[in-house]
Amino acid sequence: MSGAAHPLVCRDLSISFGGVKAVQGVSLALPAGKVLALVGPNGAGKTTLFNLVTGNLRADAGEATLDGESLLGLKPWQVARRGVARSFQDLRLFTHMTVRENAMSATERGSWFWQAGDAKARAARVEEALAATGLSDLAESRAVDLAYAERKFLSMARILAAEARIWLLDEPASGLDLSSRQRFAGLLRAANARGITICLIEHNLDVVAELADEIAFLDRGVVLAVGEPQAILRDKALAAIYFGERAA
Amino acid sequence: MTAYLANLATLAAIFGILAATLNVAVGYAGIFSVAHAVFFGLGAYAGAQLALLVVPDALLAMVVAALVAGGLSLCLALPALRVRGEYFVAASLGLQMMATTLFTEAKGLTGGMGGLVGIPRPMILGVEVPTLALALTALVLILLATWLMARGSFGRTLRAIRDAESAAEALGKNINAAKALAVAFACAGAGVAGALFALHMSFVNVESFTLDQSVLIMAMVIVGGTGTLWGPLLGAVLLLSLPAGLSFLPFIPPTEIGAVQQILYGAAMTLLMIFRPAGLLGDMRTGRKA
Repeated sequence: MSGAAHPLVCRDLSISFGGVKAVQGVSLALPAGKVLALVGPNGAGKTTLFNLVTGNLRADAGEATLDGESLLGLKPWQVARRGVARSFQDLRLFTHMTVRENAMSATERGSWFWQAGDAKARAARVEEALAATGLSDLAESRAVDLAYAERKFLSMARILAAEARIWLLDEPASGLDLSSRQRFAGLLRAANARGITICLIEHNLDVVAELADEIAFLDRGVVLAVGEPQAILRDKALAAIYFGERAA
Repeated sequence: MTAYLANLATLAAIFGILAATLNVAVGYAGIFSVAHAVFFGLGAYAGAQLALLVVPDALLAMVVAALVAGGLSLCLALPALRVRGEYFVAASLGLQMMATTLFTEAKGLTGGMGGLVGIPRPMILGVEVPTLALALTALVLILLATWLMARGSFGRTLRAIRDAESAAEALGKNINAAKALAVAFACAGAGVAGALFALHMSFVNVESFTLDQSVLIMAMVIVGGTGTLWGPLLGAVLLLSLPAGLSFLPFIPPTEIGAVQQILYGAAMTLLMIFRPAGLLGDMRTGRKA
């Protein structure tokens, strides 16, 4: 499970916070050009898994690899520069910057006074990202002044502009109305059609059923099942865990 | 009177540089340091020693002061920048306390409490030049550099770090490098201000580089408006003019000016935070509740 078929692979990843085992021996592989959904109740370890992959947390054991190369010990910016972009549940927009500046900032990875590469190409990428997310008319608005759905799409515009090949999306459709959700699904399908590999944490099972090629079900830091969406979503035992109906 | 006004204008330009450069760290990058006077002091001592021991060349003094202050800030900032927010404020406070003691005790370099006296007047290529012209030129150049930086990619990177550090990092930005560069720029600017101060006053001692001075510079930035180009300069002019203005009021005894000034500073800061939390030239939308 590595290389071209599965660019991002987790092997036996574990981390504990005090006595809480947040992620325990998780092994997962992201199929190239597919959408993998992480599903599970709150506290299952889904976001923690993202944090382990992106270098925001250091694993107690195990490792994540990208194209066969270990991500162990890399900082989040180093993981990002290898082509992995992520979104956050709480969006973390650059609130006092404009929509265009938010997207532009995603194309500028250099930390010095200048940026390598073609400025015109970067600007074109920004305009494409804004158009794809329907934010072109709001380009000069500050992020803090946007409505909730627009903020969600701005976080997607940043990821689009970043030109990453692997997207880790943390509850990107939560709080969206039906129309916005459909727009969002279209955005993901278009990206997926371009070969982007996507891992999605999502509580809305309609969105999961519509977009995912594969589902991994997590509970209490453990992967309980991996499989095709219909098989996982119809599993009564998993549904009981998801909806909190299991015995203690 | 002309000499008095020229002196006031020179000090306003020097403190304008200090406020404008601190604003790069505070206003753009969100790095709250209460140790800017340390780098002001380092620049002042470096510039003074160069003028006293080598040559009183103003340009050379400013370059050396910028290198000393900017270089040392990198050594000190790199470990300190690993901590965030209020922890960095505490770290910078510790640095300020330590530096004040070192400035007092390192008599060979700083002259201790007695300071360095008899610093020659500034010269360029052997010709004496007024410090007002030098200070205004340096201020304009630093404001220009800040303006260029703020509207470019580095300014966006700093503002991204200020608004959401983890998101900036997730987009591939090496935030520690960017923050260190911002701090080095700010402290190099403080060093330039220090060299100008030493050449202008012909005397420097530790009392100009204490925590009070750092707090005053921070107040200039906050009063004028963090993250704005002109705000810190306005703050510097206002806060420097206040004691000068008070001395012209006949009903305040000269011995009480210091106390009245402190009360006015405190009241102005409190009122400002209530009615214009982003400062006089800051964005009115910033600081309001959503």
